[in-house]
Amino acid sequence: MSLGLRHALRIFAAEALKQHRRLFGQPLVVFSMLVWPVLQLATTYYTLRPVATASPAAANWPLAADPERLLAFLATGTLAYAFFFSLVQSAWHFAFERTTGTLELLFLSPAGRLTLMIANGAGALMQNAWLLTCFTVAALTGFGVLSVSAWWMYGVVLLALLVPAVAWGAFLNSLLVFSRDSTFLYTILDEPLWFVAGVRLPNFALPAAVQVVGAVFPLTGSLVALRGALLEHRTLTELALPLTGLAALSALLLGAAALILRAGEARAQRTGGLAMA
Amino acid sequence: MSVPVAWATAWRTWQMTRRAYPWSYAIGTVLPAALAIALAYLGYHAVGAGTVADDFTAGAGTTAYLAYIAVGATAFQFTVRLILWSAKALITEQREGTLGALLVAPAGRFPYLLGFTGFALTSSLVEFLALGVVIAAFGIAIPVSSPLGLLLGALALVTTVFALSVGLGGLMIAAGEAHISQNTVFILLGLLGGYTFPRSYLPEWARWCAELLPTTAAVDVLHGATTGGQSLADLLPRLGVCVLVAAGYLLLGLLYLPRAEARAVERTY
Repeated sequence: MSLGLRHALRIFAAEALKQHRRLFGQPLVVFSMLVWPVLQLATTYYTLRPVATASPAAANWPLAADPERLLAFLATGTLAYAFFFSLVQSAWHFAFERTTGTLELLFLSPAGRLTLMIANGAGALMQNAWLLTCFTVAALTGFGVLSVSAWWMYGVVLLALLVPAVAWGAFLNSLLVFSRDSTFLYTILDEPLWFVAGVRLPNFALPAAVQVVGAVFPLTGSLVALRGALLEHRTLTELALPLTGLAALSALLLGAAALILRAGEARAQRTGGLAMA
Repeated sequence: MSVPVAWATAWRTWQMTRRAYPWSYAIGTVLPAALAIALAYLGYHAVGAGTVADDFTAGAGTTAYLAYIAVGATAFQFTVRLILWSAKALITEQREGTLGALLVAPAGRFPYLLGFTGFALTSSLVEFLALGVVIAAFGIAIPVSSPLGLLLGALALVTTVFALSVGLGGLMIAAGEAHISQNTVFILLGLLGGYTFPRSYLPEWARWCAELLPTTAAVDVLHGATTGGQSLADLLPRLGVCVLVAAGYLLLGLLYLPRAEARAVERTY
């Protein structure tokens, strides 16, 4: 193993551990991991039920005719959204490094900046999403709505969620660490994310313009892969296009993150200010 | 009751928000509500083809799904906004290191919190004009069967949320955290409070839990005065429940707040 990689892995482990110790202290964290998404799912289900169980609904959207399949559709949306949202949350927490004055220390240290950003995102993801993932898989299996073409498709699904989410996290962390009003970005990236990505509605219900905007967010692609593989019995070749798109988007996001970090740090060295937006 | 304290608090918050975060809060209110309404609109047309299920009509007493959602989503966002200002006032002081100064200042906590609610109310009114434009843009007409009932319902919502915020604010400084408590309250209110779907959908035990929440009766009044087609006389019993529940929460909050403050100070110093 090369020295550079070992160095990066140690930083990764340290940052993820820091994140774990900072957030996982209270048992209340279970709320944000499991209780919130489940309650949110119930609210969404009940709010959509009047239109999904209306008499013409089954013709427009065959899935809606069966309450369990509708719930499974919404549950996969909730799961994928929880993955991406936990990263928005971690990026928002990362911005506290500014307030507490430890951001300067990070930039003084010889740790790789992009590694730090990826580690922060990935650490948050691991501890926020594992319980919900187990819960969702158990619930979907229990309802008998899963339709998977091969057992290893579960691995593909997990990767299709994990890799874009980590890239998205690194991108957000880089962006928010240089922002003065991080709450603003948090708001902007939280609510519209579920809307444009089709978390709670099938894609055909969204206007074309929203679908175009949604294509920019990796959550959209992740959801297509997740629902395709788990609920619609799609094979790997059938999902090749969205998966390739996801890989390209992830690479793009990581590149953008590296660029933002470099520009932000260069600016900080020149002007002494840590805000780009 | 000291009016200058309430006024000074509201004015300080106004200046601070205007200078430091002119857009964050406005967009944070309008955007989620607008998206919730948009979701209902798209689902109603693309999935339901302009119709709703019979159990909605039975539970809500109307077929006007979009108007029902528009009222509910607006009321929910209003609740969230008021809690974010009033309940989080004290923990913001704690985080900025000024809670100690506030506690020794010769200003009552009650007018201080009222000042925040006053500010939240004024700024929210502007935000809700923007939301009104969104609702009009979707072409959603909201019927009003009792304008006075609607006004009293809105007042009841503000009162009950303020009553809830006193105790919740105390809980936040005692626990030293706001993120988890506030979001849990929001999600519980959204699920049980009857904002965007009739409570008849919920299992019976959940409906009983909903009665214990402060905002449930106020939301009933708001729905009743609009899509419910009820007159002021029909709404009076639920308004009475609002007054009782608000008084109960306020009493509990005011009793608990001094303990919470003591706890917060002991923990910090």
